[in-house]
Amino acid sequence: MSILAPSALDLEALVTDMWASFVGAPELLLPAGPPADDAVLWSATVTVTGEWRGMVSVDLAEAAVLGVTRGMLGFGDDEEPDAASCTDAVGELVNVVGGNVKSLMPGPSTLSLPVVSRGAVEVPSEMEEASVLHLTWCEAPVRVRVLTTTTSS
Amino acid sequence: MKILVVDDSRVMRQIVIRTLRQAGHGGHDIVEAENGRQAVELVQTEAPDLVLSDWNMPEMTGIDALLTLRGAGSAVPFGFVTSEGSEEMRARAQQAGAAFLIAKPFTPEAFDEALSGVGLVAS
Repeated sequence: MSILAPSALDLEALVTDMWASFVGAPELLLPAGPPADDAVLWSATVTVTGEWRGMVSVDLAEAAVLGVTRGMLGFGDDEEPDAASCTDAVGELVNVVGGNVKSLMPGPSTLSLPVVSRGAVEVPSEMEEASVLHLTWCEAPVRVRVLTTTTSS
Repeated sequence: MKILVVDDSRVMRQIVIRTLRQAGHGGHDIVEAENGRQAVELVQTEAPDLVLSDWNMPEMTGIDALLTLRGAGSAVPFGFVTSEGSEEMRARAQQAGAAFLIAKPFTPEAFDEALSGVGLVAS
């Protein structure tokens, strides 16, 4: 059995480009350890179904969610985005990562619309983590994961 | 000139509009739609000079909107701005009559190049 998924390096290049293009903040995304077990994270997911099946998740602490949403909407530091804008912004992040992951994997396949939740997302039992990127941005944890099913080699 | 920006994400519509400005195209009139169905209606009522559309949207996808427009005889220049930039998606877009596909994440330069290709000069 083998796992077919983008590498952590592919993910890092993609997430760095996306941050520069959409968030536009001077603060850098930096490598970090996994978030603390009791950290409350927003989770955004998309699924890819077809020739390749997988799930992509972007998980961020609330401070990162607010900062990302401000950056994407061009808000100042003193402006507080509402929950709908935060959901929209985080959903768009995972949509971009998911679309790019889909493009790197064998097709044809279909990308779902994003689902965003405040709290941990349920991972389907047949999926396992294939690539993970642990980062920190403005001292808040950011995690990007690709999960997929095992395939016969 | 008038540009119709179609995306189910309000945040992404804002980013597209900001990027148009950064690319030197801030002087065009902008109309917004949340999905393909609304885009088809606005092409009829607003007569935009260009449609910039996401692909994956609820109600009606961007590709279905393009096929509907072409089926109804509309020749409005239509470009995709989407996270799905594979060769397969580019081929599907071109086959359906799209002028270009800009992959997310994008740069202002990518917008300027695409818009210049359909005759929209910076304004």
